[in-house]
Amino acid sequence: MENKLLEIINTVLLNRGNEELKDLTKNTQLRNDIGFDSLDLAELTVRIEAEFGIDIFEDGIVLTVGDIISKITAI
Amino acid sequence: MKNIIVTGASKGLGLCVTKHLITNGYHVIAINRTISTNLKNLKKDYPESLSIIMFDLANVNQIHSDIFQKELGFNRPIHGFINNAAIAYDDIISNLDYKKLEEMYRVNVYSPMILTKYIIRHMLLHKISGSIVHISSISAHTGYKGLAMYASTKGAIEAFSLNTAREWGEKGIRSNCIVAGFMETEMSSELDSQQKNRIYKRTCLKQPTSQDSVSKTALFLLSDDSSSITAQNLFVDSGTI
Ligand SMILES: NC(=O)c1ccc[n+]([C@@H]2O[C@H](COP(=O)([O-])OP(=O)(O)OC[C@H]3O[C@@H](n4cnc5c(N)ncnc54)[C@H](OP(=O)(O)O)[C@@H]3O)[C@@H](O)[C@H]2O)c1
Repeated sequence: MENKLLEIINTVLLNRGNEELKDLTKNTQLRNDIGFDSLDLAELTVRIEAEFGIDIFEDGIVLTVGDIISKITAI
Repeated sequence: MKNIIVTGASKGLGLCVTKHLITNGYHVIAINRTISTNLKNLKKDYPESLSIIMFDLANVNQIHSDIFQKELGFNRPIHGFINNAAIAYDDIISNLDYKKLEEMYRVNVYSPMILTKYIIRHMLLHKISGSIVHISSISAHTGYKGLAMYASTKGAIEAFSLNTAREWGEKGIRSNCIVAGFMETEMSSELDSQQKNRIYKRTCLKQPTSQDSVSKTALFLLSDDSSSITAQNLFVDSGTI
């Protein structure tokens, strides 16, 4: 699942013409470390929903990769 | 084949625009509560070009599950959206009934917004520079007695469209409104001929707005021919004066 998440994050980065990441840690911050803006996060949301069937931003705050992982594993 | 969502395709303008889309090679996903004979016949003639989802747009909370999760899924890309379904609750303001107002807002404003939310997400997933077309009404620009509540829903949609264009333009997603004048449909059928004539007199062309003309403008706004047009209100209204 972490690998799939890395792949999704890299797709969003590539679509913006940014460099891919090699790895993720749970503390990696989506905005501050990866540099996602709100439109990138919207694309990330739908890619995660299409893969895992969950809307990560539907309730609560999601700031880090760890926040996403706990949302996905909570289903 | 490009997929276009059209709400309220069972009759009136929605049916007209659906016919034009299908004959121009689009695939239409129609969302309405009922399936009229006309829509059924269209499905018979073009089975591959039309999918029908029976849904009541007053049920805003059901849109995600019933339309997107159960019916559409993520595999089929969506290239355009024509927000056409609407109801017209007309009365003078001193008779305003909150229940009717609230239902009209659900159908005319909240549902189109929620549909836009998920359609934009779909467009992002498939990297589609899609086009959104809202059907507004001249009543939002020229006041008519009895239409204050209805016109306000169209004003809300026009503001929403403008801001959609601003927010999503960098992803190539466009949003425009067609400001339609009075058309001869069921919606305007309760007006008597005197009232209609008064309305038509307030136009340059002195006649009702043609549904074909509105439909063809919608097709233009969906197509690449309008690729530099966004954040606009296009008046198709016989030239209201
Ligand atoms: N007619 C005019 O003079 C005029 C002028 C300016 C703008 N407009 C705008 O043009 C658009 C089309 O109007 P029209 O004249 O074609 O109206 P219409 O003949 O009354 O058709 C309305 C369509 O919306 C659908 N609809 C209504 N309530 C719905 C709901 N709760 N859920 C799902 N679908 C619903 C209806 O389908 P079902 O009944 O099968 O659900 C029908 O297909 C509207 O946005 C209207 O505001 C009309």
